[in-house]
Amino acid sequence: MKDFFQSTKVKVFLSVLLVLIMLSVFTRNVENNIISTTLNAITFGLSKVTAAATEDHSPKKSYDELKTENDALAQANRELRAKLVDYYNVKEENTRLWQFYGIKKEHEDYSLIPATVLRRDTNDEFGSFTIDKGTASSVNVGAPVIGESGLIGWISEADAYTAKVVTILSPQTSIGAVDNATGDTGIITGSAKFADENRTTFTKLNSENKVEEGDIITSSGASGIYPKGMALGEVIEIGYDTYDTSYYAVIEPYDDISKILDVAVVTDFDGQGEILKKESDE
Amino acid sequence: MSDKATAFFRYLAYVIELILMFMLCTTPGLMPELFGAKPALLICVALTAAVFEREIPAMIIGMVAGILTDIGYSNSIGVFTISLTIICFIVGYAANNLIVAKFLNYLLYAAIAVGILFMLYFLVWFIIPGVEDMWQYFTAHIISRAVQTFLYSIPFYFINKFIYSRLNTEIG
Repeated sequence: MKDFFQSTKVKVFLSVLLVLIMLSVFTRNVENNIISTTLNAITFGLSKVTAAATEDHSPKKSYDELKTENDALAQANRELRAKLVDYYNVKEENTRLWQFYGIKKEHEDYSLIPATVLRRDTNDEFGSFTIDKGTASSVNVGAPVIGESGLIGWISEADAYTAKVVTILSPQTSIGAVDNATGDTGIITGSAKFADENRTTFTKLNSENKVEEGDIITSSGASGIYPKGMALGEVIEIGYDTYDTSYYAVIEPYDDISKILDVAVVTDFDGQGEILKKESDE
Repeated sequence: MSDKATAFFRYLAYVIELILMFMLCTTPGLMPELFGAKPALLICVALTAAVFEREIPAMIIGMVAGILTDIGYSNSIGVFTISLTIICFIVGYAANNLIVAKFLNYLLYAAIAVGILFMLYFLVWFIIPGVEDMWQYFTAHIISRAVQTFLYSIPFYFINKFIYSRLNTEIG
């Protein structure tokens, strides 16, 4: 046993371990570092394959609808085939952008970067995922991420070609929000208790709040981190947190976050970075 | 085949296993959840390969599996890389020198290793950051994931035992 601890194997093991610990500290603390970028670049191809193999969760269509759609797409395909050399990339991007057309039309100040979910991890139950856009596409840490129907998360880590999205189902999330019907304000943050059911919570409500089931909750934009007025979801239940001695509401987002495949990153919007004074300070 | 050639094909087989399991784990919607969780298949591959290999190859397999697991979760090297590197090295040593990796002994190794791995994961990602409702998460997901990982590792034990016996000149 004594020989073993003095053997080359143990020395190699300890050296590797030391390097791994240093790399771990480095990759955690240095944003957009070369190690993470390299590792993600290596697995990018694999993740592209898995993303392409992902099952489509959109509602099932009838034969006639599919046939009509197929005919229309075949016609469009014939017309488009003759166009630009990078036609396929442009078409793919346009398809993704189309999903966010409504949001873009409503908020002309938004700069949107469409992205595809590359991978999800079995270790995360809060719906976090990695997208195929990174700092090379102006996607930076802290940027809001939207689905077809509203705000679904934010960028927590970004390297050149990929970025990790933490969703509004995660306890790591903290978004200033407002009840559109009553004007009550609070914080949107995830909870392990509700994340399984694709639900998050609207917390820190005051004791005189008038929040009711069915109310629509939107981002308040108070911090300048998230755009104002983005839909976060609908109130489905009101509760009281005895530990925190405050009221909370359970919110159901409009998008099914655990199954979402196409998202858009808001890289710029009016009011970004501006800290608005709260009404109480005025 | 020469020693080097059989070793090369054996490691190639482990690499293919790791790549396939990484793709299977990270493809959205591909693997169904059972009792709120999915197994960590990369851990299954690493542990079952480690019981048949020597310390250094076992450590390298554990390190690769750990890096892939961590990339999938946090885009950086973290708890799974370090813990799987250590555990696979220890398993590799123990299986060659202390308790031979027969099936029942493997179950003992796997139970201890999986238990330690998920407890460390829970400690680093939930207890230290003080995540609210962490015990609910523990009972609803972590236990299920650990049990499934343990159970799924059984077929991998036989697959890797087959690979090792076919591609090893020492016993072949």
